[in-house]
Amino acid sequence: MEVEIDIMKDAKVGIIETEPTIPVSNDDLPIEQGEIIIEEITRNHKLLHRHRLKQNNITIGRDYKNDIILTDPHICPQHLSLNYSQGAWCIHDNNSVNGTTLENSECKKQDGHKQVINDGDVIILGKSQLRILFKNHSIADTIAFSPFESLIDLIRHPVAVFTSIALFILIAGNISYLNQPTETNISQLFVSAFSMSLLFALWPAGVALVSHLTKHDPRILAQLGISFTFFILLWLSDLLEEIIAFNSASNSVLGLIITLVPIGLAFSLFWLNSYIGFHVSAKRRIIVALSITTLLFGGTYLLQYSKKPEFNPHPQYNATIMAPSYLIAQSNSVASFLEQSNALFEQANKAAQQE
Amino acid sequence: MRTFFTLVFILLSHTTFATEQAEEIFAQLTPSLYQIKLIDKASGEKSSIGSGFQISPDGIIATNYHVISSYARHPEKYRIEYLDYQGNTAEMDLVSVDVINDLALVKRQVDGDMPYFMLSDTKPIKGEKLFALGNPHDLGMIVVPGTYNGLKKESFNERIHFTGSINSGMSGGPVVNKSEQVVGINVATSGNQIGFLVPHEKLIELFHDYNKEAPEDIKQQMAAQLFSNQNKLMKALLNNTWQSKELAGKAMFPVIEVPFIRCWGDSNADKKDALILAAIANCSLDENTYISSHFFTGSVEIEFRYMQAKNLSDNKFYHLYQKQISRAGTGNRAGKDDVSEYQCNNDLITPSSTANTSNTITNKSVFCTRAYKDFPGLFDVLYLGASVDKNQQALVSHFTLAGVSQENAMEFTGKFMEAVSWK
Repeated sequence: MEVEIDIMKDAKVGIIETEPTIPVSNDDLPIEQGEIIIEEITRNHKLLHRHRLKQNNITIGRDYKNDIILTDPHICPQHLSLNYSQGAWCIHDNNSVNGTTLENSECKKQDGHKQVINDGDVIILGKSQLRILFKNHSIADTIAFSPFESLIDLIRHPVAVFTSIALFILIAGNISYLNQPTETNISQLFVSAFSMSLLFALWPAGVALVSHLTKHDPRILAQLGISFTFFILLWLSDLLEEIIAFNSASNSVLGLIITLVPIGLAFSLFWLNSYIGFHVSAKRRIIVALSITTLLFGGTYLLQYSKKPEFNPHPQYNATIMAPSYLIAQSNSVASFLEQSNALFEQANKAAQQE
Repeated sequence: MRTFFTLVFILLSHTTFATEQAEEIFAQLTPSLYQIKLIDKASGEKSSIGSGFQISPDGIIATNYHVISSYARHPEKYRIEYLDYQGNTAEMDLVSVDVINDLALVKRQVDGDMPYFMLSDTKPIKGEKLFALGNPHDLGMIVVPGTYNGLKKESFNERIHFTGSINSGMSGGPVVNKSEQVVGINVATSGNQIGFLVPHEKLIELFHDYNKEAPEDIKQQMAAQLFSNQNKLMKALLNNTWQSKELAGKAMFPVIEVPFIRCWGDSNADKKDALILAAIANCSLDENTYISSHFFTGSVEIEFRYMQAKNLSDNKFYHLYQKQISRAGTGNRAGKDDVSEYQCNNDLITPSSTANTSNTITNKSVFCTRAYKDFPGLFDVLYLGASVDKNQQALVSHFTLAGVSQENAMEFTGKFMEAVSWK
């Protein structure tokens, strides 16, 4: 300990005496001007301010004479100082009331007085945190623009956003028109379609709000554009599913495959929401999108499953019918239908024996 | 004045005579009349009651199947007891049933030969005075005079139409003629003095069969009866003429010309604001077979529905049309312990009978079936055909059959599908 203090004192002296950029002839202790980056961060390690300082002695505290002035009331006026000597930065606590803690990259905490600081260490003083970085701190590779970027640029264009929302209102209006068993008027349909689109706009708005709170960048138009585009795609997949159910017989493979499309679309929507709204790693983004998709579809399935009665006396069949213009498939003969149906008796017998 | 006295005298003497006769009949027959009780073993209380009457000196008592049905279905849960006119009770055995005609034979222990009801050799004649005996609503044995009005019209399994009040609890009680011979068994009522009896020939047959060879297992006996009855019914349906009829002048549908299938029609032509004009024809068998309070079988329902759009787009018409056909239900009640869940398939079908003609129809056809758990080989089936080849018109053809064999169901389905077309 004693030795360390001595070195520090020497270094302090040295800094005052020597020219900043000229290294000292001694090979072991190259003396150069210290250069340090100090980041004010939140407890969640979110960046607040970044200071880049080129000096060998840095004072930190509440006092206005300090190099870095912090407003945290738990910090002393002259809380601590950082000193550079012999290629190393050392921390010096000036008998502060609440002390100083040093946390290294392995999250090991130790008393912050008279310690050598490493790249990436976090100094905890009062309720504030400072992250220390050296200028040769390694940074992540540049992320190239993905092909989505141009797509998103297209979709977030106000005209595109307006078009997709208008299309959505049109579709919602059409669906409520089809479902009305009595005569309807346009204004009624418009009101229900408009309120429907407002309801659906809650999702992109919510995502934008969260992204604003975490990143100060809502990108609301991009979120709206992407979400409504996908709502329309989801509706299209519904239509496709209906056409396939109408044209195919029961248990067709195509019918099974088409049920996966909405799941895929929902996953893509959540992935893009996260891509636009948040800077996270690709792996994390996939996990988040997957979790929301699972929650949505798994939750819906669980809800249906829990509502399912133990025994259903009513037949469950798919009687999707559409106007003849959607009829593409060839129809079969009565004989082939009877042959198919014959197999059901065996199934029913098995079901009767099982229970 | 004299005429008046004569009239009063005649009236008085007639009523006194009838009352005396009823009293006499009642007094003579009471020792052979019983209240039949089903006792729930766990609670020790009665779960259902009915009436019964002894038909042999050695203790065979006839009653309705539906009085003892719970025991027939779950013998481990119940026991059958009788209560005689002196208030004695004892346990009895179920020895034979006729589930189709709602009859059952139970046997009590006897010390020696006992008095019993004679079964009539002849059928009553229309207008003949009859006396129904039984214990309505647990109020005690009573006698109800009434009139024989022939066999119920349009019934597949014969029932006597009896004009007289039969109430619940009298089920299984005998109906006798003036010479105290049984001519029928109380079975059902449709209120307002209309009662139905099982003809005594059915009981004679059941008793005769029992004397020849007692059934080993009641469930097997029921299964055999249900199976042969559906064969008889389906044969009658399949082998009689299927008359082609017009529906709203646009569609052709089959009407099976048997008296026991009755058809009704309806339409919404009077409703000006309806978006779709609908005309419905439905035909059904009015009777069904009681197996237990939650399990009926033997029903037949056929329905045709023609629909025409009024100022609607094709898409909207088909959307509303789909809602109409999405909830076809079962024709008979059955529970988890009785049947499996329905198994369904669907396909687009064009019947060959009208293919390549102007009447040709393309249907989305749905077929569903469920199997009976206790009666293997019997199924409930449901068919639904929805036309998908006209933009503004639709024809729905639908039937349900309860408790039929696979072979009969398939034959009926094939014939039915080929018989429906556009006009």
